[in-house]
Amino acid sequence: MIIPIRCFSCGKASAYTSALTLRLSNYCAQVIADLYEKYVELIGTPIDEDGNTMPDGEAMDQLGLNRYCCRRMMLTHVDLIEKLLRYNPAERDIVKTSGGNR
Amino acid sequence: MPAHEQSNPWAPLTPSQLEQRKIVSVNPETVSHTAATDIPGHWGPAQDDSWNLSRFRDSLKVDFHHNKPHDAAFSLVGVDASIANAFRRILLAEIPTLAIEDVFVFDNTSIIQDEVLAHRLGLIPLTGGQEGLKWLKWFRKPPPKDDFAAQAAWEAEEGEDSAASVPSDYNTIVLTLNVTCRWATKAEDGRDGKALAKDGESDPNVRYVNSNVYAKDLVFEPQGQQEKYFNEEEGNQIRPVNPDILIAKLRPGQRIHVRCHCIKGIGADHAKFSPVATASYRLLPQINITQPILGADAKKFARCFPKGVIGLEPSPDNDSDELQAVVKDPMKDTVSRECLRHAEFKDKVKLGRVRDHFIFSVESTGQFGSSELMLDSVRLLRAKAERFNRHLTELEEGR
Ligand SMILES: [Zn+2]
Repeated sequence: MIIPIRCFSCGKASAYTSALTLRLSNYCAQVIADLYEKYVELIGTPIDEDGNTMPDGEAMDQLGLNRYCCRRMMLTHVDLIEKLLRYNPAERDIVKTSGGNR
Repeated sequence: MPAHEQSNPWAPLTPSQLEQRKIVSVNPETVSHTAATDIPGHWGPAQDDSWNLSRFRDSLKVDFHHNKPHDAAFSLVGVDASIANAFRRILLAEIPTLAIEDVFVFDNTSIIQDEVLAHRLGLIPLTGGQEGLKWLKWFRKPPPKDDFAAQAAWEAEEGEDSAASVPSDYNTIVLTLNVTCRWATKAEDGRDGKALAKDGESDPNVRYVNSNVYAKDLVFEPQGQQEKYFNEEEGNQIRPVNPDILIAKLRPGQRIHVRCHCIKGIGADHAKFSPVATASYRLLPQINITQPILGADAKKFARCFPKGVIGLEPSPDNDSDELQAVVKDPMKDTVSRECLRHAEFKDKVKLGRVRDHFIFSVESTGQFGSSELMLDSVRLLRAKAERFNRHLTELEEGR
């Protein structure tokens, strides 16, 4: 539902830091749960004027996910919590007035 | 190679034989010579394989390839697999670390259930002042209230150390998490989240405040003497190693208010207490080119291995300008055995692994340095051996 804190197999918490990871955060160590948002950002942001985005593999390399056990944590995660968060009574009035565009 | 093929069947092994018995052979379909044979008596009375401190000291070698706080790789040469494996297993399961164990939930209206939230909190790697972490005592967790057998056994031995099962500044670290999500307002955040939402803004970070709960929101509450050991000004406070770990996601009106008790534990009890993400070793690969491989064959041969393993050099005893394949860096090899699949290399190369050369890779979760953990595992093995020795002595004395 939400990205797991650690890799199921190896419990990965630390990682090789490339130049880009350093730019994204000042911390050397990374856990799966703090890499996911960076991963989504990396594969969702265009890297050239044609609007091409970074391939998954390259993004995981940059985040220091070297082992295939850690890589599958990113690749196979479905962030269902985003769907479930919509069932919130406090938001209902907004959704109604805005015509339910969300 | 076996001793009986020599003229004198019980002569000590020659240097080349000593070298050969260190190698595990990797054949096209099988692996042979897997068992160590440096056991006293195995090669006859003349070969002295008895354990000897000065010989052990001479053959033992530790050589670091890289040593970063979160990732260390080194070669441990000259020990038996049983010892190297003992270090690995102690690293994984027996070095004590601090982790969140009990979570007291005051309020949790998020869509992450209490038990899932508690589990997520437990897995967050924590760090803090090294001296303080060493100073922390064990907390003995009382058995669950509904387990009557365990309760009875607990009460029977309660007298031993009852202070260890009461949370105190010696054995428990308190962290609290209190986060409430709300709409962004003009007065507090300089933007009106509700108005933006009506205009079609869909980014939760713009619409709301505190929509993501991160590990950095955990607040350390020092108790008693912990003020001294985990001083915030000296940067020794207990904190998550990775401040950006996503704990939960909230929407306006939802709140998480919990208090966490962290205790010292070992990986054998729960993986969250394991100080390493992975601790593993592999044996040093050995590539033995028995006949020269030249020219186009050499290029093909180099392609059978990862980059950098095989180099091409002008051959010394050949007048032609053909290049010869030489072994550059066997440590980079993955022992894929690809070269053995080609008929032209089959009889020209022998693959193996060095039995007593362990390439360790230790990845710490961040509470302690990786190389420090390795030293801890050595200390722990030594303490265990001493304890065993003591028990044996007691047994002998009939106590
Ligand atoms: Zn992993």
